[in-house]
Amino acid sequence: MSKRRPSPDPDRRKFLKGATLAGAAALTPPVATDAQVIAPAPVAAMKAAPPGPIQIAVETLPPEPDPVTQTSSGGDFMVDVLKTLEIDYLAMNCASSFRGLHEAVINHGGNVKPEILTCPHEEIAVSMGHGYAKIEGKPMAMICHGVVGLQHATMAMYNAWCDRVPVIVIGGNIIEANKRGPVVEWVHSAIDIGAITRDFTKWDDQPTSLQHFAESAVRAYKIATTPPMGPVLLSLDAELQENPIHDGESLHIPRLSRVVPPQADSGAIAEAAKLLVAAEAPLIVVDRMARTPAGMDRLVELAEALQCPVLDRAGRQNFPSRHPLNQTFRRGVVIGQADVILSIEMNDHWGALTAFSDRIVRTSRMLYKPTAKIITLGMRDLYLKANYQDFGRFSDIDLSIAGDGEASLPALTDQVRKLVDPARKAAYEARGKRYAAAHLAMVEQSKSEATIGWDSSPITTGRLCAEVWARIKDEDWSLVGNTINNTWPHRLWNFDKAHRWIGAAGGAGVGYTAPASLGAALANKRHGRLTLTFNGDGDFMFNPGTLWTAAHHRIPILYIIHNNRAYHQEYMYLQAMANRHGRGIEKSDIGTTLKDPNIDYATVARGLGVHGEGPITDPHDLGPALERAIALVKSGQPALIDVVTDPR
Amino acid sequence: MRHRGIRKLVNVIGAALMALFAAGGFDGAARAQDAPPGDAVEGKRLYLAVGCFLCHGRSGQGGAMNGPAPILAKTAMPFDGFKGQLRQPASDMPAYSEKVMTDQEIADIYAFVEALPGPRPTKDMKIFDN
Repeated sequence: MSKRRPSPDPDRRKFLKGATLAGAAALTPPVATDAQVIAPAPVAAMKAAPPGPIQIAVETLPPEPDPVTQTSSGGDFMVDVLKTLEIDYLAMNCASSFRGLHEAVINHGGNVKPEILTCPHEEIAVSMGHGYAKIEGKPMAMICHGVVGLQHATMAMYNAWCDRVPVIVIGGNIIEANKRGPVVEWVHSAIDIGAITRDFTKWDDQPTSLQHFAESAVRAYKIATTPPMGPVLLSLDAELQENPIHDGESLHIPRLSRVVPPQADSGAIAEAAKLLVAAEAPLIVVDRMARTPAGMDRLVELAEALQCPVLDRAGRQNFPSRHPLNQTFRRGVVIGQADVILSIEMNDHWGALTAFSDRIVRTSRMLYKPTAKIITLGMRDLYLKANYQDFGRFSDIDLSIAGDGEASLPALTDQVRKLVDPARKAAYEARGKRYAAAHLAMVEQSKSEATIGWDSSPITTGRLCAEVWARIKDEDWSLVGNTINNTWPHRLWNFDKAHRWIGAAGGAGVGYTAPASLGAALANKRHGRLTLTFNGDGDFMFNPGTLWTAAHHRIPILYIIHNNRAYHQEYMYLQAMANRHGRGIEKSDIGTTLKDPNIDYATVARGLGVHGEGPITDPHDLGPALERAIALVKSGQPALIDVVTDPR
Repeated sequence: MRHRGIRKLVNVIGAALMALFAAGGFDGAARAQDAPPGDAVEGKRLYLAVGCFLCHGRSGQGGAMNGPAPILAKTAMPFDGFKGQLRQPASDMPAYSEKVMTDQEIADIYAFVEALPGPRPTKDMKIFDN
C-alpha cells in the first residue's frame, strides 16, 4: 500500500539483512582440511558484479531507527469522513483492533460528531443505535473487535435487520497475516468478518486504502438509510487506521446524495384507489409504515378520506391510538367484515390476517372473507435474503404494489379523493360514525377492564399502566419499549405524536429493550422529552450494564421493570407442553422463572449509578414512587423502578 | 379430512363461546342452575396451583398467551362451557384432562372465579378521567 512507501519497513530491512547473510554463507567455502589446499580464485573468474553504492550503503550503514511518532494517521481521515456524514455518536466497547480510530475520534475529532458512547457490551452499542435511529431518523455508528466483538453484536444486528433500521457497524481487523502479533491478534482476525453477519446486513465492505474507506463509508450510509433500511458493516484494517497518511492531497470525501424513496407506480395506485373507494368495508393494516413524522399524518388523511378502519400492528407510530378509526383492538371483527384490505409495509402480512392454532396439529385459518380483495403496498418484496425466514408465509394477493408506503400514500389519497362522489361521501360518513362509536366503546371497556384486581398484589399490569399514564399525560412523553403482550398503553394512552412510540425489536431477540430504549432516550434528550420504557425482567437481565451507560452519559430515561419473575411467555408454553402430556404443570417453573433468589433490580440500578426504587409490591406505593422517579428523569437523570407485577 | 372438519367446527364454536365468555353474554340464572357445588377457597388454591393465573391473572383480569386469555373474574360463562373449555380447549389454552383435574376441582375453580370481583365503575375514578 502506498502509505508504507516512504518509511522503510523494518520487516523489509530484516529480510534484506537476512538475505545478505544467507548469501554470504552460501558463498563461503567449506572449512579446509589439513589435506586440502584451496587456491584463491582469480578476480576475473568471479561471477557476481562488485557491489554498487546502494548495496554498500545497505550493508554498511546502521539501520534507520524505527519511527516512534507520526504527525497524521489514517484514523484522522476516517474521523473527517464520519464528521461529513454527521455521525453524532460512536458507541463502543473499547478494543485494540480499532485503537487507531478510537484515538483519532477523541484527539483529532475532539470527541464531537462522533462522540464516544462507552458500552459494556457490543449488543448494547448496536441496540442503542437501533433505538436512536427510530427517534432521530438517522443512524449512529458503533465499532467493535471484528471477530469477538462482532459476535457479541450479532443478535442486535439481527434485530435491526428485521426491524428495517439503519445502524452502521464497524469492525476492527488485522488483514495482513504478517502484521499480526502473537496469540490474541490471530484469534481476533479474520479474512472476512462480514461472513457471519452477511445474512442480516444490507451491505458490507473491507476497504484497503483510505480513499476506499471514504467511498465505502459514504456508500454504507447511503445504503443503510435507503428504504428498506437496514444495518451495514465496514471491516477496518488496524494499520489503515493507525499508520501515517502519505497521500493526503489526493484523498477526497465523496458527497452524500440521498435516495428519494421509491413511490409506487401511478397505474397501480389508481387501481388500488378504485378498489378501496368501491368497497363496502375497506380496511387498512399497517406495521412499519411511518418512517418519518409525516407518516402518521399521511395515514390519517387516507383513512379519513375513506372513513375506513385502521389496524395498527405498532411496528412504528403509524396511527393515533385515540383516532375514531383506530380499530386495532377489534381485529377479528374488522378483518371479518372487510371486502378490500390494504396492507402497508407489513412484515408478516399472513400472520396479521390469520388465526393460528398452536396445538398438536398446527392449523390456521384466514380471518377475512374468501371474496375479499387483498392489496399490498410496501418494500417487503424488494429486499429478501434466503437464510433467515423473517419475511413470513407467502400469501394470495390480488394487487401487489412495490413502493415505499409512506412516500406513496399522498398519491393514493389524492386518487381516492378524486373518486369519492357526494353519494359515497355521505355513506362514508355514516360508516365512520359507526367505527367512532365502536372505538369509544372499546376505550371505555379498556378502562373498565383495567380496574379488575385494582388493589391486588402483585400489581396488575392494567393498574401499572393506568398509574403511569396519569403521571405522564401532561408531559411530552415518549414510550420507547414495552413488554410482550402488554397492550394497556395502546388501549389507555393517547399516542398522538410521531415520537410517542417506536415499535419493538423486530427480531424478537431478547435483550433489546434496555439498550434500544436508552438509544431512543439519547435522541429524545435533545428535544427535552420524557422518555420511559417498560422493560421485562427477563429482557433486562440480558443487558443490565446498559444502566451504567445511562448514568455515565447522563441520559434521562425512566425504566419501569415489569417484574413477573419469569420468562413468562416460555413459562406458559411449558405449561401447555406439560398439559399436552397430562403430566401436570407443577414443574413448569424449572428453567422458566427468575426466583430463588428474587432479583433486586433497584439495588442493581444503584450499583450501576442509577436511582432505583423497589421492589414495589403494594399498588398504593406505586404512584409516589413514579412521581419521585419522573422528577429525577425530568432533572436529567436516569431512574428505575422495580414493580412486582402479575404475569400479564 | 373429517378430522379437520370437526376441528374447524370446534374452533368456530369455541371462538363464539370465547367471545360470549369475554362479553359476559350468558344469562346469570341459567349459570347458577348449571353449576355444581364448588368450594371457592379450594378453587383459589387450585387456580394458583394448576397455573390458571399464568394466563388469566391472579384476579381473573385476563391476559394473553398466543392470543388474548379472557377475563375470568365474575365469569358469566355456564359451567358446562367452562368445563368444556378446560377439557377440550377451543383456543391454544392448555387442555386439563381428567388425569390432571377432576370435575369437582373444575367446580371449585369455577366457584372461585365466579366469586371474584369484576370491574369497578370508572366514572368516579379520577385516574381514568383523561
